[in-house]
Amino acid sequence: MSGDIEGQQNGNTALCQRCHEEAATHQIRSDGICTKCFVAYVTTKAIKRMETYKIRGTTKTARRLLFPLSFGPSSASLLHILDQHIQGQYLRMNRASYELVVVHINLYVDPVDRKDADLLLEKYKSRFPRHTYSTLNLEDALTLEGIDWKALKMEEPLNTQNPADKLQALLGSMSSATSRSDIVSTLLTRLLVDVAKKSECESILFGDSTSRLAEKTLTETAKGRGFSLPWQVSDGALSYGIAFNYPLRDLLKKEIQTFSSLTTPPLTDLVINPKSSSHISASSKTTTIDDLMAQYFETVEENFPSIVANVVRTTSKLKSLPDEDTTSCGLCGLPVAKGTDGIYGWGGDQNTSSQPTEEKLHHGILCYGCSRSINS
Amino acid sequence: MAPTLCAICQIARALIIRPKNHQKLCRECFISIFEAEIHHTITSTSLFSRGDRIAIGASGGKDSTVLASVLKTLNERYDYGLDLVLLSIDEGIKGYRDDSLETVKRNAVQYDMPLKIVGYDELYGWTMDQVVEVIGKKGNCTYCGVFRRQALDRGAKMLGINHVVTGHNADDIAETILMNLLRGDLPRLARSTSIVTGDSASDVRRSKPLKYAYEKEIVLYAHHKKLDYFTTECLYSPEAFRGSARSLIKNLERVRPSAILDVVRSGEDMAKLVPEEVTGISQCKSQKVSLSSADGEREGAGGCGSSNGRNSGGEMADMEKKLQQDEEAASREIDVSSLASSTAHIHPPEKKGHDPKTGKTGRKDAGRKLVKQTLGSCKKCGYMSSQEVCKACTLLEGLNKNRPQMEIETDVEDNESSTLRRRMGGVALAAG
Repeated sequence: MSGDIEGQQNGNTALCQRCHEEAATHQIRSDGICTKCFVAYVTTKAIKRMETYKIRGTTKTARRLLFPLSFGPSSASLLHILDQHIQGQYLRMNRASYELVVVHINLYVDPVDRKDADLLLEKYKSRFPRHTYSTLNLEDALTLEGIDWKALKMEEPLNTQNPADKLQALLGSMSSATSRSDIVSTLLTRLLVDVAKKSECESILFGDSTSRLAEKTLTETAKGRGFSLPWQVSDGALSYGIAFNYPLRDLLKKEIQTFSSLTTPPLTDLVINPKSSSHISASSKTTTIDDLMAQYFETVEENFPSIVANVVRTTSKLKSLPDEDTTSCGLCGLPVAKGTDGIYGWGGDQNTSSQPTEEKLHHGILCYGCSRSINS
Repeated sequence: MAPTLCAICQIARALIIRPKNHQKLCRECFISIFEAEIHHTITSTSLFSRGDRIAIGASGGKDSTVLASVLKTLNERYDYGLDLVLLSIDEGIKGYRDDSLETVKRNAVQYDMPLKIVGYDELYGWTMDQVVEVIGKKGNCTYCGVFRRQALDRGAKMLGINHVVTGHNADDIAETILMNLLRGDLPRLARSTSIVTGDSASDVRRSKPLKYAYEKEIVLYAHHKKLDYFTTECLYSPEAFRGSARSLIKNLERVRPSAILDVVRSGEDMAKLVPEEVTGISQCKSQKVSLSSADGEREGAGGCGSSNGRNSGGEMADMEKKLQQDEEAASREIDVSSLASSTAHIHPPEKKGHDPKTGKTGRKDAGRKLVKQTLGSCKKCGYMSSQEVCKACTLLEGLNKNRPQMEIETDVEDNESSTLRRRMGGVALAAG
């Protein structure tokens, strides 16, 4: 390869192995490449996953897609990429094949946090003004219908006076940090699906990287939710009649983090970077299974990035069970095969007398994972 | 402060916090619930029938010792009508097996069970010490694991027994599930959770009665029953990749004690989601009984402690390298296919029979093909295998080529010339 040789002859500055013009400043697998090619690489990987929503025939109406914005590097980067993609479509054809309905969900009840979130969202609006924006709070999930509130020991959800307090109390009653985060993510998903339906979106675009999806695979496995993986990790899987898409699923967390600082202008002041998970200790009461897996994959990604990607590829090959003989879980809403609900009465529950009365009193169907979070 | 009473009998003082669910129990209640749970596993899966002769894969370690003790207790208490035999494998690792085999010999007396010890040298012509001399400490777990798996079955056959039970516990199973996810190994993911492996086509069935028992509870049981077992890590497994899955499992357990059981449950559920073309078995069958293949699934008498298996750190790096090459090949392929048709005749390297015109849409995921596994038997030794030649024979062939040595049984090797070469190698060895 002439680029290599030239690079070596010129001293330290190796040339980009893609364009052979600029100096290589970044790394993709074993190739050193320049900033421009790196940005192009990330953008292409994401846009390729949007092919489902490309312009077809003469259809004039743009398809509506819900875009949950967490302010993390992934969702910020994805919004940037899709914004440009839509702009490109306008320039070429004077129409766009899809439009984004951006929603931010406040996970924190503290008014200060919420104010910060509002301010940040304003920045997004001025940077990407093309899209519609809205904010919801996690406690809005408490007004959802179709959730078995009795399972959570809550009265009917409607007409709740002080939803934020209710949410606090609910989460406070969970026995472990893992159960708490499990319920939060379940409520979040259900709320997003509800918003998607109400705003007539056909799918939800999540910013999950391949690293995040690998984390999720093992996290869900560790929470006893292995059955749900076909819905949680596969691209385009339909849950609740809404498709879940992961356009960044072919990119590593590290690559997206780098990308968010390389855009023009950089996304840096729009992004809230998550804390590094390296300090997490398994002996802390506040540590969750999610934290452990994030930490684990941070180290795996460092040395074995392809293994991370392979986890996701493999998991995507799992087939969901046929619809018949399933009932929706009263909490997460995912299909539960007949006779496999709850944490009791399977091979691993070896004691027939261990079944508490609560479970008997409550007749709703809960999946193993939700049942675990509520009962332990 | 008043002492906490046992949560079950409410009489005795609670001395034990159950690792599985943090229930506070007295010694007697812990022992009886531990046994009751194994009994439940055995009866709910109809693991045994009256009159069965069962070989217990015994390493002298805690798992197999507890298994032997519990099976003896339950066999007498519930009158299973089983004929129990201890079966031990001598890998030929000096300083490791010497002591543990002494333990097994004492167990045989304590439990009043017959004992059969089978050596790698008599089965394969190689002790593990000799294998390590040839291939070094890296990657030798592959050999040990593959050889041991067959060794138990062959040992059982010698005894005329068709059912071997092993001491695999819930931690082992959970670890294997996470590992198979990390390795992207769907066929093994599909079968690693079933309590019984091997079906009517195979001579020897394997089962894991302790599959739902927490390792910590096994240790507690051994301690409180004052069982005689041997604690040591295998000398030859310093840097196994399985170790990474194992420490993850341990951390998960600390964060949420039910996690080990929850992983096992997930594994059972996921096994049903693995496409049939991968497992080669139909759905209804796979839930209870699945094919066992001789290609090195973590099996055996638990001899390698925490880090048994074929997965050294080097293997993880090897896999990374291979995956990267695949990815690069795939990206070249897409580059070619997206070019104009004038270049369409150029086939990318490493992808046979690939049509560049359809490649772009047909290979969106750039994933490896799903490999179907079918069960046959090894052409060389006749042992059950999904390959034409079983893994043990393949490994042996490599060993014998690299460093011929004298004492090889003729049932493994066949032709005269290689025997001659082996002898010559032996001479050279003696001279050096």
